[in-house]
Amino acid sequence: MAKLKLGLYWAASCGGCDVAVLDTNEKILDVAQIADLVFWPIALDFKYHHVEAMEDKSIDVCLFNGAIRSSEQERIARLLRAKSKTMVAFGSCACFGGIPALANFFNRAEIMERAYVEAPSNDNQGRTFPQFQTEVAEGELELPELYDTVLTLAQVVDVEYFIPGCPPPVDLILKIVDALATNSLPPPGAVIASEKTLCDECDRKKEEKMISKIYRSHEIIPDPERCLLEQGILCMGPATRGGCGARCIKVNMPCRGCFGPPAGVVDQGAKLVSAIASIYQAKNEEEIARMVEEIVDPAGTFYRFGLADSMLKRKRL
Amino acid sequence: MSFEPKIVGFLCNWCSYAAADLAGTSRKKYAPNVRVIRVMCSGRVDPTFVLKAFQCGADGVLVCG
Repeated sequence: MAKLKLGLYWAASCGGCDVAVLDTNEKILDVAQIADLVFWPIALDFKYHHVEAMEDKSIDVCLFNGAIRSSEQERIARLLRAKSKTMVAFGSCACFGGIPALANFFNRAEIMERAYVEAPSNDNQGRTFPQFQTEVAEGELELPELYDTVLTLAQVVDVEYFIPGCPPPVDLILKIVDALATNSLPPPGAVIASEKTLCDECDRKKEEKMISKIYRSHEIIPDPERCLLEQGILCMGPATRGGCGARCIKVNMPCRGCFGPPAGVVDQGAKLVSAIASIYQAKNEEEIARMVEEIVDPAGTFYRFGLADSMLKRKRL
Repeated sequence: MSFEPKIVGFLCNWCSYAAADLAGTSRKKYAPNVRVIRVMCSGRVDPTFVLKAFQCGADGVLVCG
């Protein structure tokens, strides 16, 4: 069998997804046995024009990590889509927008103001901002245009598979590599993870869920045996897809929701609101109001990874 | 023209929907701004329904039960 051609790309992401590929350790050699890497900006010196020169559909699989929030990222997403037989949204940012999509609570002007003027490390009294086009003596210089809205990969191009996770765990990466090697890929549209919620695979002791106070992670040392929600810690397990191996739970940290909504759920944040509200034990309205106040940044908590893909999507422009 | 809000009402089959129904059979009038959706229990209402109503252009959502 001819070797597979594999491409990797990063858009609006932190680089952790690329590192997760390297986390496969010696298994990466198995990957190298079945596949040739034809594009991987973080590790290999291929340029965009090398990809442009390829024939359409000549890349077998493209693992695309990161959300889309600039004209460059959109251009490369469309380019790689044209050149790839199979497009995989790799990691939470490509799947649901991820952490970068929290920028959808703002717009471009506000983001620029914060990043280049307000941030305490700036000294920008002249209010200098990056320009998308700049005239210089030698001609016009261009920078990619930053968008108002952070998009998921599937909102820009067709996507065959989704591997969630911030970053995706090694066993799921190996699962898709094995599926590629044995030509046993699931039907297109599949999410390579569990169909059920994290709670379903969490082996903590679960009793009656009734809470009267919310604790933030730094305010309490949780009992490592008991359900974190029952201890008053906001854990996103009830409305988050499983398949991660409960890696945060195992180190006594609550789930942050990086695997996105489980199968059949449209809006992860709304389901989380529903789950948390249903376990509030309050005697009167004042207590409810106090407990609602105890959730610092509810929008950022419940939509931490999923804002771009949610029904809220963004703040009104 | 003055503002006419569109309000989506999720009404419980056993109490508020029955009341709205009774209002109808008693020929009492209520504002047509409320578009009633019958649910078998107000506990059936999921926050996703509320978001969906707003997404579809509702100005307000009423949950009765």
